[in-house]
Amino acid sequence: MQSYRLTKILTNTTVYIILTVFALFMLFPFIFMFTTSLKEPQDTFRYPPRLLPREPITTFVEGFDEPLPLYYVEYEGKQQQFALAQDNIKIGVYADPNNPDVTYEREIREVRPTGGFTNQETIPIDGEEMDLFDIEVDGQVIPMIQVSQTALGRFVSVENPEVSVLQNVRLSQPVENLTAHPENYREVIELQGLDRSLINTTMVTVLVVIGQLATSVVGGYAFARLRFPGRDNIFLVYLGTLMIPFSVLIMPLYQLMVWIGWVDNMAALIVPWIFTAYGTFLMRQFFITIPREIEEAALIDGASRFQILWRIFLPASAPALATLGTFSFLYAWNSFFWPLVVINTGNVQNHVLTLSLNVLRGRASDSPNLILAGAAIAILPPLIIFILGQRFFVESVTSSGVKG
Amino acid sequence: MATVTATPGHQAQNTDAWLTIAVVWHALLCVASLGGTFWLWQTETIAGQSWLQTLLTVLLLLMAAASGLAAPLIIRRDHRGRVLSLVVNYLGFLVCFFGAWHVLGIFSGLNDLAGTFGRGIPFLFAVFIGYLVGAFGDRFEDNPAQQQLFQRIGRIIMLVAFVMFLFAIGLVQGLIAIAGRIDGPLPIALAVGSVLFATMIWVMWRQPAADAMNANNSHTEMLNGYLFLSPNLLGFLVFFAGPLLFSLYISFTDSDAFSTPNWVGFDNYADILNMSIAQLDAPNQPFSEVMDVSTYSEMTRFNFFGQNIVIGAEDRLFWLALRNTIVFVLVAVPLSVIPALFLSNLLNSKIPGMKFFRAVYFIPSIAAVVGIALIWQLLFNATIGYINYFIATGIEFTNQILGTAIADPQIRWLSDSRTALLSVIIIVAWQTMGFNTVLFLAGLQNIPKDLYEAATVDGAGSWAQFWRITLPMLAPTTFFVVTMTTIQAMQVFDHIFILMNPPAGPNNSTLSMVLYLYQKGFQRFEQGYASAIAWVLFIFIFALTFLRFQRERASAYEG
Repeated sequence: MQSYRLTKILTNTTVYIILTVFALFMLFPFIFMFTTSLKEPQDTFRYPPRLLPREPITTFVEGFDEPLPLYYVEYEGKQQQFALAQDNIKIGVYADPNNPDVTYEREIREVRPTGGFTNQETIPIDGEEMDLFDIEVDGQVIPMIQVSQTALGRFVSVENPEVSVLQNVRLSQPVENLTAHPENYREVIELQGLDRSLINTTMVTVLVVIGQLATSVVGGYAFARLRFPGRDNIFLVYLGTLMIPFSVLIMPLYQLMVWIGWVDNMAALIVPWIFTAYGTFLMRQFFITIPREIEEAALIDGASRFQILWRIFLPASAPALATLGTFSFLYAWNSFFWPLVVINTGNVQNHVLTLSLNVLRGRASDSPNLILAGAAIAILPPLIIFILGQRFFVESVTSSGVKG
Repeated sequence: MATVTATPGHQAQNTDAWLTIAVVWHALLCVASLGGTFWLWQTETIAGQSWLQTLLTVLLLLMAAASGLAAPLIIRRDHRGRVLSLVVNYLGFLVCFFGAWHVLGIFSGLNDLAGTFGRGIPFLFAVFIGYLVGAFGDRFEDNPAQQQLFQRIGRIIMLVAFVMFLFAIGLVQGLIAIAGRIDGPLPIALAVGSVLFATMIWVMWRQPAADAMNANNSHTEMLNGYLFLSPNLLGFLVFFAGPLLFSLYISFTDSDAFSTPNWVGFDNYADILNMSIAQLDAPNQPFSEVMDVSTYSEMTRFNFFGQNIVIGAEDRLFWLALRNTIVFVLVAVPLSVIPALFLSNLLNSKIPGMKFFRAVYFIPSIAAVVGIALIWQLLFNATIGYINYFIATGIEFTNQILGTAIADPQIRWLSDSRTALLSVIIIVAWQTMGFNTVLFLAGLQNIPKDLYEAATVDGAGSWAQFWRITLPMLAPTTFFVVTMTTIQAMQVFDHIFILMNPPAGPNNSTLSMVLYLYQKGFQRFEQGYASAIAWVLFIFIFALTFLRFQRERASAYEG
């Protein structure tokens, strides 16, 4: 009994570990999107990459007008936070020609040539004349040659600006803290007119969802409950079309839009999409499960077909309506191919979100934070709706015509 | 059924008068349609659009025939006359009504509506809140007074919010603008037409007319059926079935979407599929020596039992796109189905938190493909991307643990022609895996539990149970999942279009069938050719589905 329980705990732990790893795999791109959308542009180009947005800290130091960035600096054997007071100071590395292994670093502009500026002394080394400079070491002036040049930054102590250390800026570790730049969202909205695209997408989605629900409900009711010649054949044709790829339709549909004059118009994004064979099929499948008796009683009482549909079928079909509504919502919100074809790149006014993102991708290629802020604007609304209506979403998929 | 208020004799007289008007109306309509057909073949206004001329002629002649038939049938009080009359008037009404919408610019007004729609969104939320208030009332099922109160408040909120929404989006200004456009003869004619057709529908539809035309219950049911199906069916015909046939037509033409297409027969299909095989004298013999390079370009050369063979194709890119699509399907479908099967079996064990994981796995499939491709573009970045970082970290870790010296491959995912397609495959597999998991889970939960209990009693281990019970019982779901994933994978476009720059990828390595179709149809506007490609793709999808379906049926009967 003991070993059975142990095996069970071990199995469950393994299951949880695997499930969590996959969950992280599924979620990581979204977490990455969200955190990157809050970063500064230069923070997005770091290697190794970091998930959370960070920003160098700056501080005011006495004697300086501008705030100075803080860095970690080795001073008196301890790591301390110093402010970068001056960058790009030219430093010469000097060595005694007789003892070239010991080098000294001095600021170039403070070093004087041996013998004065006009007639600097030189020394031949390996057949080449090298300039000599006066370098003071422990109070003693020694003529030395310049071995190499470098640029360093001068870091000063925040408490006592007199204390300073020279150090390579590029190799120094800046002091950073966690930040967030939600203004990226405002910036990308202004850059690409995403507010208008968001409204366009919302409008298209609302109208397509309402239209699909309306046509599917009445069509589904007709298929499920009303007998008329040709009903079953028409239904078979509907079923057959579920398999036809959209790419077959896209050219003739485009030509139809050209002919009607809807190219570049929002109408082209809405009107052709409110008729759906899939939705009609879904509603029909749901309606045939509703018992006939209620309906027949209502018919005897003199109710019209429309009243029956409105008062009996609709209230009973909330799950099916939610399923169809979510599918048509996602379809309308996320569609890209058709808008790409039918709305021209120049017509920014009528761009939906996906189209704007496509343009933004080229325009803001040097600021991934803005691109991902745009992506977040497109992804977050369905995500929020998904979290709110999670029950409907997942349950609906499990019931959408898949009979195990 | 209807409450009778007037004296029966008076009402019958009244109905007879209306039916006489209907007969006259249909006679006029028949003459007008014939006249319209005649005018159509005289006028030059739609010259050059022969298919449109044909279509309109057919429609007008149908209308003339239907009207001509309806009139005598109504005189004889035959119910078929009522049906014909209703159909003709209904269609006539729709054409006039939406024609008037079109002429008055209501459809193009949707563009302006988008400009003001933003102001209305808060009111839409208020409508939603009203709905929630009404729905909240359902919690008081044992207290009808309270329930009704909530429902009434909810309804009032919804109504007020909706009216405010209409005002906010500029309904008044829109109506004024539309009213200002009713000046030419066409909008007025269409408006009058709508009213006339609507009146005739009312004349024929109402109960006295039905009684006079000897309608019974099944007639009423039939008319209701057609009426309820009509929005869907007409939309389906106009925006689906019609374009489908038209697509087949333009695949036999050199259509460019704007000018008059010329019939070219099977030329498009021949160009797409045309191939040639030749034998080479030496493995490195130039292609131009064995084939006409003005027609063919080299696709591949290989050694076949010591003979050097070269294959050339007229449209090399099509075959390349086909190959890429097939490779894509063959790799992406197993990658998104097998892990899903595995995960769903893990999730199916009765453990707490299963619903949480199920929801998390579902998230990628609801997100916009465009957004997802943008995210993965950064993850795949060769120098700063997370994927190479994870690989580098993993290799470093392995090297430290095992003391090996594996070099960091530094894969240039998107710009290397060997990995570009793989990158797309990874994204698609990632996105569809969770959806498939949820589908499999639904299938698993339908398997009867006693099967497993019996197997456990018989001493079958969990591995044997998986192979002997789970997989066979899950076969219908597997069939559905594999078919759907395959059909979707064959049409891959959005992912590639956003991820790759240029979309065809390095060395055309991510050129898919639909992407090629897009390039042909909407960048070069060779729409006839592109339609032919679309039909070839459709035939592939159909054959695939059909084959799988046959196999599925065969195995179902065996089992």
